Amino acid sequence: MVRVFVFGIEITEITNNIPNVNNKMFADITLESVTFKSNWKKERSLASSGCQTSELVVEEVACQSVKYKSVKTQTEDDSDKFSGFADDNSGHLAEFLRRVEPAMHKQLEMNVKSHAFDDYEVTWDEGSSTMSSIHKLTNAAHDGQFQITGLSWNSTGAVIAASYGRFDHEDWCTHKTSLCTWNLERRNLDENKPDTVLEVSSCLMCTAFHPSNPALIAGGTYNGVVIVWDLSREDDMVLTSSGIGDDSHREPVSKVIWVPDTSSLKKNKYLLVSVSSDGKMLVWKMDRKTKQIELHDGFVLMNMNLPTQLRKSRTMRGDKEVGVTCISYNNENKDSFIIGSEPGAVFKCSMSANGEQPAGNIISSIQLKSPVTFTYAHHYGPVYSAEFSPFHRNAFLTSSMDQTLRLYSMLQKQPIMTLEPGEGVIYSTKWSFSRPALFAATTDTGLLLLYDLTQNQPVPVYKLEAGGLMGNNARAPVLTCQFNQHQNNLIATGDAMGCIQVFRISDSLKTPLSRDLEILGELVDITTES
Amino acid sequence: MAEVEETFKRIQAHKGVIGVIVVNSEGIPIRSTLDNSTTVQYAGLISQLAAKARSTVRDIDPGNDLTFLRIRSKKHEIMVAPDKEYLLICIQSPHD
Repeated sequence: MVRVFVFGIEITEITNNIPNVNNKMFADITLESVTFKSNWKKERSLASSGCQTSELVVEEVACQSVKYKSVKTQTEDDSDKFSGFADDNSGHLAEFLRRVEPAMHKQLEMNVKSHAFDDYEVTWDEGSSTMSSIHKLTNAAHDGQFQITGLSWNSTGAVIAASYGRFDHEDWCTHKTSLCTWNLERRNLDENKPDTVLEVSSCLMCTAFHPSNPALIAGGTYNGVVIVWDLSREDDMVLTSSGIGDDSHREPVSKVIWVPDTSSLKKNKYLLVSVSSDGKMLVWKMDRKTKQIELHDGFVLMNMNLPTQLRKSRTMRGDKEVGVTCISYNNENKDSFIIGSEPGAVFKCSMSANGEQPAGNIISSIQLKSPVTFTYAHHYGPVYSAEFSPFHRNAFLTSSMDQTLRLYSMLQKQPIMTLEPGEGVIYSTKWSFSRPALFAATTDTGLLLLYDLTQNQPVPVYKLEAGGLMGNNARAPVLTCQFNQHQNNLIATGDAMGCIQVFRISDSLKTPLSRDLEILGELVDITTES
Repeated sequence: MAEVEETFKRIQAHKGVIGVIVVNSEGIPIRSTLDNSTTVQYAGLISQLAAKARSTVRDIDPGNDLTFLRIRSKKHEIMVAPDKEYLLICIQSPHD
């Protein structure tokens, strides 16, 4: 018993009043544990089950070839066969030559002087003796609202392409036209539905197939863009385009033409040349790897190049550009070309010309030079087409809005011959690829005229109705024509209603006469002496 | 041999001559002024034709023989002088 004295009061009951205590203050007590469920954890329920696939079926099969066959092939290298000539060791060669030489000389001499075969011609093909229109191609989707601005046969002569557009724009072109091709050798040729239709977002003014690759075709648009398509592609056939920039044309492209690249060592390299109403003549080179065209060289035609009679007033600025309407390259010398211009002047130019031009308003990454080396007697209206003869190196034809056709010699200022058929404006003229003396011209009255220079009279030997009939009984003007280089009895014409006609010309007109080249030569060369 | 070259030059210099070829009796060219492929082509074809022409002449009259062969085409004339061991082929364009 503890006697506790707190402030003098005896507190003795403290220990006695505490229950369950065995008179001890601090004792060991075991308490029961208390559990409580957490309310953020959910209790997971578990269940177990089993599954089994049905019995697997296994099969084993083996195979082995027991027979062997071995075949080999090898090509014979033909080129080695005659890489060298035979050696002649008999020593009789000199004797033999001595014996036959006089006879050979006699014959050679006789041949040059002989007139025995002068008018002698043999016709092997059955051919036709008449001219007939064998195809009439249209693109029904265009519905006659577009004119044929350009025609081109491809390098194999089987496919013809036509560019559609209009010549009578007043301002910016908002038409959606197309480039259509027809394969004339297909059996199921549909004359109203082209085989390929390439959509273009503005009027196409000209087109030209690549001379050796039958899939590449170039075209120039009203907006000044030069586009090259690759027809062998499946989806987007546009291979490359010059775009609308400082380097490309700002006015309608009047002509595109493929020219052999004389600077390249490889054969079959071509440059693309485009001419336009903005006076520029641009030479594009296709990069072999990227297949894009890049501006390689350029020329520009300015007022100061024009002959004085064509300059309207003395005070006309010499540094204003003059539109170029057509271009043609010489057959033998790919360095020289002729251009026709909007005022009517015809110029001889050279790819390597380096004439200075006043800067004017042209912005271009490449210095644009003056290509002019010689000026010919001019026409009295825009020159619509100029074409060098494929046979004679000096002869070229021009046709113009002044309703005349002129035959010039490259060496002479005045034309050798001026033809006025009286059929309105002559929109285009082309030489035949097979006969040196034959050329065609298309007129405003819807006719295709064929001229033969071996005839004495300056009248066409044939007049074919090539333009479609319009409402007032007149024929639609025929805007372009093109001879087929491979099938030399075909010529195609395109008219202002969007219709292409392919004519087969008679054999007498397609087979060259032996004196053709001579007569053409006489015409072109004789006058240079006078 | 200089003489052979001279003769060749003389014939080649004649007006309108495009090429001269000498072929042996087997049809293999010995000398030529044209390029390889053209020469081989002419040699093979012309020697066959000359042989055929010769046999034709002899068949009609066994006492006769071929002395000269001329083939005139639209563009050229081919003249062939035959012999026992050789064949001289000359191609000329008569109207220049």
